[in-house]
Amino acid sequence: MSDLAVGVVGIIIFFVLLAFRIPIAYAMMIVGFAGFAFLGSPGAAWGMLSREIFSTFSSYSLSVIPMFIWMGFLAYYTGIGSRLYQFAYRMMGHYPGGLAIATQGACAIFGAVCGSNTATAATIGAIALPEMKRYGYADSLATASVAAGGALGVLIPPSVIFIVYGIATEQSIGRLFLAGIIPGLLLMVLYILAVVLLVRRHADLGPAGRKSSWRERWQALRGGMVEVLLIFAFSLGGLFAGWFTPTEAGAMGVFAVLLVSLLQRRFSWQALKKSLLDTTRTSAMILLLVGGAIVFGRFIALTRIPFALAGWAAGLEMPPFLIMAVILLIYLVLGCFIDALALILLTIPIFYPVVVTVLGYDPIWFGVIIVLVVAMGVITPPVGMNVYIVKGVAKDVPLETIFRGVWPFLLALFACIALLIAFPQIATFLPGRLG
Amino acid sequence: MHPAAKSITVVTRAADYIAGFLLLLVMGLVVANVALRVLFNGSILGTYEMVGYLTAASIGLALASCAVQNGHLAIELIVHRLPPRARKLIGPLFSLPAALFLLVAAYQLGRYGQRVALSGEVAPTTGFPFHPFIYLVAFGFFILGLVELVKAWPSVKGVAGR
Repeated sequence: MSDLAVGVVGIIIFFVLLAFRIPIAYAMMIVGFAGFAFLGSPGAAWGMLSREIFSTFSSYSLSVIPMFIWMGFLAYYTGIGSRLYQFAYRMMGHYPGGLAIATQGACAIFGAVCGSNTATAATIGAIALPEMKRYGYADSLATASVAAGGALGVLIPPSVIFIVYGIATEQSIGRLFLAGIIPGLLLMVLYILAVVLLVRRHADLGPAGRKSSWRERWQALRGGMVEVLLIFAFSLGGLFAGWFTPTEAGAMGVFAVLLVSLLQRRFSWQALKKSLLDTTRTSAMILLLVGGAIVFGRFIALTRIPFALAGWAAGLEMPPFLIMAVILLIYLVLGCFIDALALILLTIPIFYPVVVTVLGYDPIWFGVIIVLVVAMGVITPPVGMNVYIVKGVAKDVPLETIFRGVWPFLLALFACIALLIAFPQIATFLPGRLG
Repeated sequence: MHPAAKSITVVTRAADYIAGFLLLLVMGLVVANVALRVLFNGSILGTYEMVGYLTAASIGLALASCAVQNGHLAIELIVHRLPPRARKLIGPLFSLPAALFLLVAAYQLGRYGQRVALSGEVAPTTGFPFHPFIYLVAFGFFILGLVELVKAWPSVKGVAGR
């Protein structure tokens, strides 16, 4: 059997393991190890696995992940998410669909202190869903706006997916963070537009709430917005200015959240303990996934599949944008079944050389596009991670209702991707100027 | 709960608490290093190395706790559509070898740590031996394997008793 055929068989076995509910990280390690052992020797494969796992876990670059995750959990447990939503609600709640619009704003701002889409959806969902229920919002709009809004958390820095993409492709994490800002804000505007158009056609989906006084709005601004801006400036400001490494920016962000909560007398040992335990578990899941992907990637590299694919793409007599469209379609389909982070880790060794080396696309732009495409996967059936998170909060709402409500937001995501393809400067402008 | 399963749960919880404490140490170390750099133009020798090793130990020790809460990402595509009898038969067919793989991986990680210890390899900047951190990751994999074994056991027993 040729090395290429071994690679294809390995990929098929990997998908069989996934189909039978073996965790993705385990499946990548098992297939990566077995394939390496088949092409080399079991001794060499065990040596490779042990080395790669320890060097992944002890990598200084990857230690940024727990820090930014912790920053998000700490912000949640110290009530920053709740105060943020209050601010957005005071500003927008009196418009039809205003609470769903406020949810998008709150998700975007919370995304600035949290690196994960699921944490953003869980945090804002826990606060926004009871409010929307109280004001008689349709379940479909309420739940879908939270599930979709969570995706803003992966575009607006800090973003765990950008960190992993940056490390996998050796791109600057700071430049990727900068590249995500304008597309993130654009997506928020498109989401808001989707809500406005929806409630204009079906006013009963999101009735207008009470209008807040300017005093209430000012208090909410002081309570919710200022602290987030301070934390963002302290942590990511230092990263963009080149004073901190990404890990330092994450640790300083955690320190800033701790400081803000102490100054506001909202700190509790319980919040610190809960945030730490949630962080270690989530980070363990992510880093085992990264370790598994590296082991799997070593096997795939041995089979020379990426080189064969790059050679095949280079030989195609098709315009690059058509090949790119096919690649995006593959991501879109796989994104419906595989988690965003796992999908990026799994496919980057295969597609990145084709897109960047053969087709000549900008690696930073590709990172943003990929994050957007896989963000679709978190709200599409059957494996829409954010939809399941929202379902966990709104237990009485059937999954079908949430998936049905997601369609207008999916169209907004499509529009955002189309705009980014037509105008790549949306992603490359900020890193070009400031990076 | 079976006493063995109970013991594994206790060990997993303790490991998770230690993992959290190590993360707290990492944050403190990085913030102290930044403060020293900004305020006194100094630094703590070997911060980058220490952050890496402490993070490795923290992640390793939290692996099992993540598995206890079914936190390791898996996809529900086929198994939940199968009839309960088929699910019972197929469950251990995949989960048992996966658990055994993790246990062997833990043993191999331990051997890797031993090789590093015997070779006298040390951290490049500070010169301290880092193999204890490899042992901690190996221990994390060991309890992860045990947790997966305990999770797979009821279905194995169900199939054997049939």
